[in-house]
Formats: sequence, C-alpha cells, structure tokens
Amino acid sequence: QDTTFLSQEIPPVFLCFRDRKEWADLEPVPQDDGPNPVVKIAYSEKFSDVYDYFRALLKNDERSERAFALTSEAIELNAANYTVWHYRRVLLQALSKDLREEMRYITAIIEEQPKNYQVWHHRRMVVEWLNDPSEELEFIADILSQDAKNYHAWQHRQWVIQEYKLWDDELDFVENLLEEDVRNNSAWNQRHFVISHTSGFSDAMEREIQYCLYQIKKAPNNESAWNYLKGILQPLGLSAQPGLLERVLELKQTHCSPYLLAFLFDCYEDALENSKENVAEEEQQKTLKKALEICQLLAQEDTIRKEYWLFLGRSLKNKHGSSDPSDEPLADDPEPSVPVSEQQEMS
Amino acid sequence: MAEEESQFEEFEQIDFLRDRHVRFFQRTLQVLPERYASLETTRLTIIFFALSGLDVLDALDVIDRNTMIEWIYSLQVLPTEDQVNLSRCGFRGSSHIGIPYSTKGPGVLHPYDSGHVAMTYTGLCSLLILGDDLSRVNKQACLAGLRALQLEDGSFYAVPEGSENDIRFIYCAASICYMLDDWSGMDIQKAIEYIRGSLSYDNGFGQGAGRESHGGWTYCAIASLCLMGRLEEALSQRELDRIRRWCIMRQQSGFQGRPNKPVDTCYSFWVGATLELLDVFQYTNFDKNRSFILSTQDRLVGGFAKWPDSHPDPLHAYLGLCGLSLIGEPSLRKVHPALNITQRAFQHVQQLQQTWRDSTGSCSRQH
Repeated sequence: QDTTFLSQEIPPVFLCFRDRKEWADLEPVPQDDGPNPVVKIAYSEKFSDVYDYFRALLKNDERSERAFALTSEAIELNAANYTVWHYRRVLLQALSKDLREEMRYITAIIEEQPKNYQVWHHRRMVVEWLNDPSEELEFIADILSQDAKNYHAWQHRQWVIQEYKLWDDELDFVENLLEEDVRNNSAWNQRHFVISHTSGFSDAMEREIQYCLYQIKKAPNNESAWNYLKGILQPLGLSAQPGLLERVLELKQTHCSPYLLAFLFDCYEDALENSKENVAEEEQQKTLKKALEICQLLAQEDTIRKEYWLFLGRSLKNKHGSSDPSDEPLADDPEPSVPVSEQQEMS
Repeated sequence: MAEEESQFEEFEQIDFLRDRHVRFFQRTLQVLPERYASLETTRLTIIFFALSGLDVLDALDVIDRNTMIEWIYSLQVLPTEDQVNLSRCGFRGSSHIGIPYSTKGPGVLHPYDSGHVAMTYTGLCSLLILGDDLSRVNKQACLAGLRALQLEDGSFYAVPEGSENDIRFIYCAASICYMLDDWSGMDIQKAIEYIRGSLSYDNGFGQGAGRESHGGWTYCAIASLCLMGRLEEALSQRELDRIRRWCIMRQQSGFQGRPNKPVDTCYSFWVGATLELLDVFQYTNFDKNRSFILSTQDRLVGGFAKWPDSHPDPLHAYLGLCGLSLIGEPSLRKVHPALNITQRAFQHVQQLQQTWRDSTGSCSRQH
C-alpha cells in the first residue's frame, strides 16, 4: 500500500519516491548527460524523482503494480515520452490489467492533449487488444468538435473505419461537418475517403459534381470544394465530363474565383493534351487561346501567384502553340516546360 | 555586437535581427526550463535545429564543436559485445533511459534502449554540420537498426518497439541512407510504393494512403524521392505538375500547410523547399513570404514563432531562417532543400563520401 500522504503534523504533500519506504529496495537512476550537457532541461526535484525511479524500474524491467502506478505519474509529467508509454503497455499485458479502465484513462489524457502522437498510438493499441472499436467514432467526434481539423483525430478515425469496416454512417458525419464549415478541408478529404472505399465514383459522379457545385455557389472562394471537384474528375480527364465546362463557364459570371479560373485552365489543358486526331488544328488553337486568356486573368486576379500563372501560360504555349509567327507573345521570354533540374536529382 | 541593419530600405519596418537569433540558438543549446519537458526524448532534434540554425546564420563559431560532438556520440546506441542488439542500434534522442554517459563502445545491454529513426537522422546531420567525419559512427549497426524499422507496406516505425508508422520516417530513413552513402538500409521500391500511395486526390501528399494532404508530408515525399534519385521515375510529369500546383496554392502571404488553414512560418520551408526541388519556387511571391516570416520574428528573445505575436520555439526559429534562406536573404547561408542542411555542410558530406569511396576503391552500394 503506497503511503503517499504520510504525514503527522503538516498538511499532505507529495512524498518523493526516494522517501517512500515501499521503494527503498530500488536504487534511483539519474539521467547522465556527461560533463557538458547540451539542451539540458532544468527539472524540478519532483520531476527528477519520478523519472529517476522510472529509469530504475526500466533497467530491471520490473513488472509490478507499483511500476504501473509510476508510469501514470511519469505520463502526467511528460506525456510525450514514448518509452514510458511502451513500458506501460508491457505492464498492461504482463499484469493483465483492465483494458476498459485503460480506455477511460487514455480518453481523459487525449482530451487534455489531443495533438500528441503517443497518446493516439496508445489508444490504437488498446482498441486492437480489446478488438472493440465501439467507442471510437463518438470519441473522435468529440475531439473533432473541439478542433475539426485535428490531423491525429482524423488519422485515427480513418484507421478505425477501415480496420473495423465502420463505413455506414460516415458520409452523414462528413456532410454534417461540411454543413458546419464548408471550408473544412479534412472533411472534404474524408468524403473522398468514404466514397472511394464504398460506392466508388462512377455511379456517384453526377451526385458528387452536383454537391460540389452547390457548395461552391454557397461559398465560391473555397479551395477545398474546387480541389475535390477536380480530384474526382481528374482520373477520367477534366474534359471528358460532358457539359461540365459549360456549367463552370456559367458559374464564372456570378461565382468567380481564382480556383474557378484555374479549373477552367485545367479543363482547356486537358482538352489540348487529350485531343483526338480528328480535332482540327484550328480548334486546338482556339482552346489554347482561351487557356492563355485565363492565365492572363489569373495573373491579374491571383496576384500572389502572378509569375506562376504566366509561367504556366508560356509552358502551355510552347507545348501546343502553332508555328504561326503572328501569335501574340506573352509577358516574359518563352521557356521550355520544366523538367526537374538535374542538380536536384541526387545519386 | 550591434544589431545589423537591414540592407533593404523598403523593408525598414521588418528588419532581420540576426544577432538575436544567434543568441536564441545559443540559449537553446544551454538550459531550457522544465516546461519544455515534452522535448526530452527529442533533444537531439532540438540540437539539430540550433546547430543548423547557427550554420545558416554563419555563426557556428559561437559554440564549442568538440563538446557538442562528444555529447552527440554519447547518444549512439552501439552494438553489445555479442551484437545481440544490432536491430536496435542508431541514436537516442537523449539520456532519458539512464544509460551511463559513454562516447565509445561496446554497447550496454538494456531491455529498453534503442535508437529512434528521427534521432539517428538528426544526430548524423548534427555531426556533419559540426565537421565530424563520422568515424565513430557504427554505420553497419545504424543500417541494421534502420532495416528493422521498415514495414511491409514500405513505411517505417520510429523505434523497434513499435510506434506509429508513416511518411515522416521514410524521409528520416532516406536521409540516413543518403548521408551514409548506403541504401542497404531500406527497400527503396517499397518506400516508393508507400509514397505514391500517399498521393491524395488533390495532388498533395498525406501521411499515408487516404490521409489529408499536408505541406510537411509533401516535403517528406518529394525530398525522399530526390534523395533516392527517383523523383522522375516515381512520378510522371503530369503528376509533378499537379503537385507543383498544390504546393504553390499554399501561399497566402507566407505558406499554409493545408487548404483553408492559417499560414505558419514552418511551411515557408516545408512547402518552399518542395517548390525549390520541383523547380518552381522562383514563381512564388518572395516579398509576401518574407514579410510574413519576419512578422513572426520575436524582436526581444529572437527566434521565430508559427504565427505573429506567439512564442518562438527552436523548430520555427530554424525553419523560419531556412524559409528566408530560400528566398535569398543576404546574410544567410544557402540551404540544401532535400537534406535540410546548409550547402556548406552538404559539401562536407560530399567530400567525406568521396574519401570513403576512395578508401574502399569501389562505388557506393545501390540497392
């Protein structure tokens, strides 16, 4: 029985492990940084005490209840110490500890420190041992309600869903999040994740295009929605979808954005890249002209990327331009389309 | 020494305070208060940020190189006499396990002592930055430790006991193999498959398949492929163009890590360096990038923070400098975008590797 609050005259204080008789058999092991420590962290006496005993337990690979209790203290002082977590897992198994209780424990810790890698990894291990994901979706939803873009939370969610095949309600979950914040890029990513692993995008394509255009009308300057639209169409080719270009051109009148313009450029580029042999040179040049106009527009509207849009225009012109000398030159000198510099390739 | 004035009159409001940053890194290398406890197991990465930061500032003369070198070597997990721990070798992040200080072998057998892939990577970088010749690194042991960390899917654990596995550790592994000039430490093909699998529908890279694309993981993907010399083999020109687009769209003033997230100083390096590796960094807006980075500069204690009016930390201080270096800040050394050390340190690596090759009389082993 650990007599932490042993005292007679004075109020209960934290008793160092080195003063607890139940630990007297163990020799504490200090950290040894040698004669010239670098980036030394100045620990308090309490901190050093806990970890000196942690190191002692570790050295002997002790498997005991007192060791398990100490890991909780060590975690409270530094939840990022992966060795403590690993040792705790060894003890959980060696002592056949109650894993449900461990789930409660790790839930509380993650709520306090939701951006720590070790705590999420620990939770995953416990879920795997229990082979019980039943609390996960609700728990992660709670973490996401505090930070809807927490990368750890989303990663854990994807693992749970994929591992335990919990796809059924996820599209609804995503839609709710997008209702709350249509700019939540993590939610858009999750949408793609769910659909690609369930129905796939062939039958769902029209519905998804509709969904994107609907969201874009509500919030035109939303890169996530445009990335999603482009992403689902990309495998088949942006110019392959009948009527899409027209719909986007319509949107351009009322809901324009740099993302819309870039999408148009990509459509035109795709058309040029994938044009069939029977497409007349004249048609090609018309498409090229439209693409180059978009580049000029983008250089004016999306000024931070002005040089990039001009570069794209030059590259496209060099690739698909006719040899007609009456073509209008673009700003700046022509450049070949850019292969990755050999200097960057290391051997 | 008086603070150096900015040489650009048009940026007079936001001058670069070189000396403050030198002092920031000097202090980092000394003692940190207890509230930095969460950095204990990653202290070697903090050393790397400070040393490489000082190198970028051309201020390595303020530190005692030999002291640092000895301390780093004390973190090496060396093979025991009977080499039973070979698959656990590499570098530790710190002395937190309690192994008695020692800079030479043989290794001490301890049930929980093992290297950590990010520490092996930053340990080697730090030694090279300090001009060490790696002669006391047990390279074969490091590579054995590295091999033990790679999973079937091509990704890596951080430690042999197991941990999360993802693209960050592929980058660490690739850097280790690159510096040691020995790719037997990893299965390149599998790593490439994992990297390709991490390419998102929106043309950035996530931490793994299906995950949201992110500037940090995109850097790990592209820089790894460059270090392996497989960029154009692994990704088509079309894919590369799309990745360029995803990256260049991250610039809002400085750079963000994901669409619709706030800009953060560190992405000026993660995304900036990726764009540099892809040959299009020149098309970004240098002025706005510089203005943002400098807006996160701490004028009192030095260093940089992720956002303006926030506390600086070693990672953002280092990557803020690297971000400025990429845009050609005059008082800063150039940074090698894939290996994330100065070009000066990189030249040292190359010279060292040449002497290795000359002494063995054979070409570097390729996998």
